[in-house]
Amino acid sequence: MAIHERQVIEVQGVWKVFGERAEEALQAIWQDNLHKAEVLEQFGAVLAVRDVSFAVEKGEIFCIMGLSGSGKSTLVRHINRLIQPTHGQILVNGQDIGALSAAELRALRATQIGMVFQNMALLPHRTVRDNIAFALELRNTDPFTRHQSANTLLETVGLQGYGDSRPSKLSGGMQQRVGLARALAADPVILLMDEPFSALDPLIRRGLQDEFLSLSRTMDKTTVFITHDLDEAMRMGSRIGIMRDGEMVQIGTPEDIIIHPKDSYVADFVQGLSSLKLVFAHRIMEQPEIYEKNHGSVADADTWPQAHPKANLNSLVSLIVGQQCPIAIRADGKLAGIVTKDALLKGIQGQSP
Amino acid sequence: MTAHTPGGEKTVPPDNSDSLASFKEFAGHRGDYYGRTFLRIQQAKLPGLHLNTSALLGGFLWASLRGNWLLFWIGFATDMIAAVNLALVHKYDLAAVQAATDGKDFLVQRYDGWSDAHLQAGLVLLFAGRLLLGWLADRLYYHHYARWRVNRSLPSGQAIRRLGIGMLAILFVAPLTIYRASQFAPDQRSCIKLAHMIQDGQQVPLKDRFDCWTISEFPTLVWLPRPLQYAFPRNDDGTRSIVVKEPSGKRPVNLNNWLSEHIDQGINYLKAFYGWLFDGVTRWIRVLLNAVEAVFVGTPWMVTSLMLILAAVKLAGSRMGVFTAVVLLYLALFGFWQTAMSTISLTVAATVICVVAGLPLGIWVAKSKVGAAVVTPMLDIMQTIPSFVYLLPAVAFFSVGKPPGILATVIFAMPPMVRLTALGIQHVPASTKEAALAFGASPRQLLLKVELPLALPSIMAGVNQVVMLSLSMVVIAAIIGAGGMGFIVVDALARTQVGRGILAGIGIALIAMMIDRVVQKVNRL
Repeated sequence: MAIHERQVIEVQGVWKVFGERAEEALQAIWQDNLHKAEVLEQFGAVLAVRDVSFAVEKGEIFCIMGLSGSGKSTLVRHINRLIQPTHGQILVNGQDIGALSAAELRALRATQIGMVFQNMALLPHRTVRDNIAFALELRNTDPFTRHQSANTLLETVGLQGYGDSRPSKLSGGMQQRVGLARALAADPVILLMDEPFSALDPLIRRGLQDEFLSLSRTMDKTTVFITHDLDEAMRMGSRIGIMRDGEMVQIGTPEDIIIHPKDSYVADFVQGLSSLKLVFAHRIMEQPEIYEKNHGSVADADTWPQAHPKANLNSLVSLIVGQQCPIAIRADGKLAGIVTKDALLKGIQGQSP
Repeated sequence: MTAHTPGGEKTVPPDNSDSLASFKEFAGHRGDYYGRTFLRIQQAKLPGLHLNTSALLGGFLWASLRGNWLLFWIGFATDMIAAVNLALVHKYDLAAVQAATDGKDFLVQRYDGWSDAHLQAGLVLLFAGRLLLGWLADRLYYHHYARWRVNRSLPSGQAIRRLGIGMLAILFVAPLTIYRASQFAPDQRSCIKLAHMIQDGQQVPLKDRFDCWTISEFPTLVWLPRPLQYAFPRNDDGTRSIVVKEPSGKRPVNLNNWLSEHIDQGINYLKAFYGWLFDGVTRWIRVLLNAVEAVFVGTPWMVTSLMLILAAVKLAGSRMGVFTAVVLLYLALFGFWQTAMSTISLTVAATVICVVAGLPLGIWVAKSKVGAAVVTPMLDIMQTIPSFVYLLPAVAFFSVGKPPGILATVIFAMPPMVRLTALGIQHVPASTKEAALAFGASPRQLLLKVELPLALPSIMAGVNQVVMLSLSMVVIAAIIGAGGMGFIVVDALARTQVGRGILAGIGIALIAMMIDRVVQKVNRL
């Protein structure tokens, strides 16, 4: 039960088939284990999501990564039921959202779930402030309260003084800040980010990513973050789910995925990534006993450079440059392991001992 | 291959044997001539006055031999029209002789004049048509070749059997056409009389029957019994009863008379038993119109004009204010004040009804497949029917006067309102709607807070269209007694008072410009 309480979003065995004969197609898929192309050919239906299950814990940023057409945007729209699953269940705060009435669903969307879109989708006829307060307005909040909370959010996203402008007067990056502020306006528990930064140029994207990360740390939102950019997924995600052709291929921490890619598809993806910042000391360190067996005594480990098991390879490199001795990894004051220069170099190459 | 050497030396002429062979294969008979000509066309070296002598002399027969049906129809049409004109020469010559024997000199002169005119027209058409065909022949035949290259099943070369098709066409079309031109065709009435005589069993000359069947109006094929006569007299207690009478005449009637009588009776029936409905509609339109007229007609001219000018300044700027003042001054000086205000009232009333009815209809069309399936064909019909025709049902059900005029106007002017509202709503980006839904918008909130505001430019364009269409229809509705400026024009037409009509016409144009400019300016704000 305790685990359940921590899980804000649970997606259980969700299938989505688009098309007039969706139900029929789904039965056929189950019986004959059809592929996406076969489903399209036989039923004129598109298999968008194939048996996806995952859970997102409170305060986590869960990244869903996949190429275009892999079904990630479809999947995220199931969480606020903009799309109905053909089969499967979605629980938000332990509640099955498929069972909600239209009014309850609207209340859930307005109060519990904020969403940010790739193309911003701001309302051009409203001021920035009215755009931000849109969710509140839909819940019939009074104008004064709307005004106040919109102003607070404008400050949060660094757009003070733009409240009375039209969205069209703002740059793309600023518009997406408005989109973010709008999603935060009702102080929702969950944030759904559908490729929020993909349409922005790289420099602005990076700035917004950093800002969002620091915002997210202070605000304690549970976030599902969709992206087609692996770098972005690695930067943002506490865990990452990789999707291909509607299937969730692998779910894990960035480190997991880099070091233990589940299949060649994922391996191809992560091949080009630098492990410097994504792999941590505990992955490559040797146990003190093994080190003693292979290299010799750990008696003067106190004089070696010291690091935490959660230190990334980049910081280990800085420590070991110009040193002859290995690095001692300490957790809670105890010697947990030793990283030699060789192990570090191999780790940078992407190999674990 | 073109070998181009710098320094202005002569370029080697391209090897054209491939093209020539293909041209010859296509042309078959006289391949050398067509090969040469087509090569020139390809090289853009064909002289401007190049004529194909075979086509010039052979006319459409040459085209049918070659299987080029476009050229065939061009040649056939010009030759045919020339032949008809020459046949008319014969017809009027005979008529002139007849008139001379009857001693009607003025008729002789007229027929001789017509005969000469047709002779000239016939000869000019014959020569010009052949020249045109000769000039077009090779040019169009080359296009024929280009299509044949792609699709080898197209006719190529020269074939006698195709001449047969051409001859058949002549046999079918030419004799009757020329016969029609050379005869005085009997009119429809005399043919109907003839039909009655045949029905009564009398003897009729064969030639008259033949003429009625072939060269007169399309013969009456369907004869139907005369429909019964219905009347709906009012009883003492206010109810209506239905009285059936035998038709007045005995003879059968044609399809047109039969159906139009039925329609009349249907309308009479509806008016007798559902009159309250039409009276109700009329009354409500009256109420609206009275309210509007109280503003424009019932208010002293000083107040109204000041109001209109101020409204123009406020809505569209000072320049439009000046223009409005000039227009109003024109109307006042030429004595059109009351009538102009009456026209504007009619327009405003019709526009109000159009917007109030058109907006929900447009939303329905945009939102529901059923709505689109029901309303769109109706809009198509409403926009296809000429504006005059609307006056008929309006008069039939609502009698004459201003309310039926407004109704006809509403039917005429509403389609753009519905269409542009629907278009505006359909063009709201799906992503924007999705975002609104994601934040918990109800269908009503989606419509009011997202779709309608985003569709507003389109809706306002619709209002502008409605205003302009209403104004034009209100003028036409004067025919059924809607009054206003249109009445002056209709009256002036009836009495051939050109000057008065022109002045009123200018007044209408000025009102239209005034309203159009102001509404457009408002749209842009």
